[in-house]
Amino acid sequence: MKDMELIEEMLNCYIDGELDERKSNEVKRLIDNDSQIHSLYDSLKRYKNLMDTVCQVPAPEGLCDNITAHLEREVLLADTQIYSLKAGRRHLMARRLMTAAAVIALAAVLFVVIFDIFVPKSSRQQLLSNALRKKTIKQVLYEKPFADTKQQEDIKIVPQNSYDVPLVVILALKTNNPIEVDWLVAKALTTTDLFNQTAAIDRQSGAVRYVINCNNQSLISLIQELSFIWPQCTDTKIDIGTEQAGKYITVNNISARQVMEICKAENFGQRLRMANDLAIINKLTTPAIIDRLYAAVDIDYDLLVTQKPALTSTEKTQTAGQPSNDIKNATLTIIVISK
Amino acid sequence: MKKQRELFQADMVKSIQEQLKNTDANISIDEAALVAQAKAGNMDSVERLILKYQQRVYNTILKMCGNNDDAAELTQDTFVRVIQNIKNFKGQSSFYTWLFRIAVNLTLNFCKKNSRVSFQPLQSEPDEELKHQLKDYLIDKTTPQPPQIAATKELHGLILKALEKLDADQRAVIVLRDIEQMNYTEIAETLDIEIGTVKSRIARGRKNLREILEAAIQ
Repeated sequence: MKDMELIEEMLNCYIDGELDERKSNEVKRLIDNDSQIHSLYDSLKRYKNLMDTVCQVPAPEGLCDNITAHLEREVLLADTQIYSLKAGRRHLMARRLMTAAAVIALAAVLFVVIFDIFVPKSSRQQLLSNALRKKTIKQVLYEKPFADTKQQEDIKIVPQNSYDVPLVVILALKTNNPIEVDWLVAKALTTTDLFNQTAAIDRQSGAVRYVINCNNQSLISLIQELSFIWPQCTDTKIDIGTEQAGKYITVNNISARQVMEICKAENFGQRLRMANDLAIINKLTTPAIIDRLYAAVDIDYDLLVTQKPALTSTEKTQTAGQPSNDIKNATLTIIVISK
Repeated sequence: MKKQRELFQADMVKSIQEQLKNTDANISIDEAALVAQAKAGNMDSVERLILKYQQRVYNTILKMCGNNDDAAELTQDTFVRVIQNIKNFKGQSSFYTWLFRIAVNLTLNFCKKNSRVSFQPLQSEPDEELKHQLKDYLIDKTTPQPPQIAATKELHGLILKALEKLDADQRAVIVLRDIEQMNYTEIAETLDIEIGTVKSRIARGRKNLREILEAAIQ
């Protein structure tokens, strides 16, 4: 099949006179010797002759004139100075722009007229109002609920001033020398100028009760003065008032230093925790051991007490105000009991 | 301005008429010299070139596109483009192949744009006698020479109809070879293809054309 195509190609070249002498002779010999190729050659030759008979059509009249006129028009346009001068070009541009503007204006007028004719009045007003309405920003709450509001920073809240809750202390001292202890208490009250602030002194057989209303600082000073009494005492006990009236935390075998520590507590909560801790510790150990422990190591009680985590809320910080010396926010009841 | 133009046109017509009178002399002028003068802007040379080639270009385009009006317009476009770009013609190929390259490319583009070449319909179907004579000549091979009626419009239409059915590349090669009588080298140069491609396209084109014509006269 491919050979036949090649032979046909060769025969066409032979008919068109495109072969050199050697190849031409070869093809001629092939045509003479092979009847099939001869037949094909004859057929091709006949088609070739037929195509050659197709006559040439004369070119349309005035073709040359048309071409020269076309060229001449272009030459004339190129030579016209209006297109080469700057002012001319500007003028041409202005004319073009004006034409474009006129066309746009005409189109706009046509649009308005068509709009007016075909669009109903109600739809027209709705369309116009929609077109004139300003774009509103859509607030998609579920996507960005707090996007535009600045989140407030957490503010540390300091627990309420401990001095707001009055310090109620009932100190019970059991002694073999009640007269001496009584005298020493009276002396301590005098020394600390708290004798005048003593609300009540109740002397009964076997027991004397002092009720003193003072501020916290004075109370600490008083306890410091009373520390001399402790060696005279056989048993000591303290009751720390809680928020609930009539309910106390009792700490047995309490030392003067422990009382002072409790009184120095920064706030009501710390005071209660300290009282609880000391109640447990004192149950396990003797007061002497604790005193020795305190003496040996200068323990800051704060180290023994776990700090509460700082609470947070949106309220502003409230700093704990220092207790005024004038405010009597502590009540100390000293009971001296004879053994 | 209008007067100037009229005068210019009158001069042009006169010069063309004078040139037409001396046609033989025009043809004898060396083509290279004409091209050089046309490059220099000599309108006389331009017109001589147009007159020399217009019929051949027109016929080639007509056989390719199959419509007289389109062929006339494409011929005009070809010459306008040639004259506009004659300064870019560097003489690497002959002016003749350059001119025909532009003509063929414009025609092929036109045919592609119009997707299907709209050949002018035949005035009437070929009559039975023509069919019979053609059959005798092409198939039965009893007639030694092409029929006497070969030059008639009917046969011309039949061949154009057959050319229409060829694909554009084969049609271009057949027209350049059998109508324009270009040799293979010139065809390759005009279409910017290899000579081997020209050979194969001619062989396939003629074979297809033969089949088409045989089917038409059966």
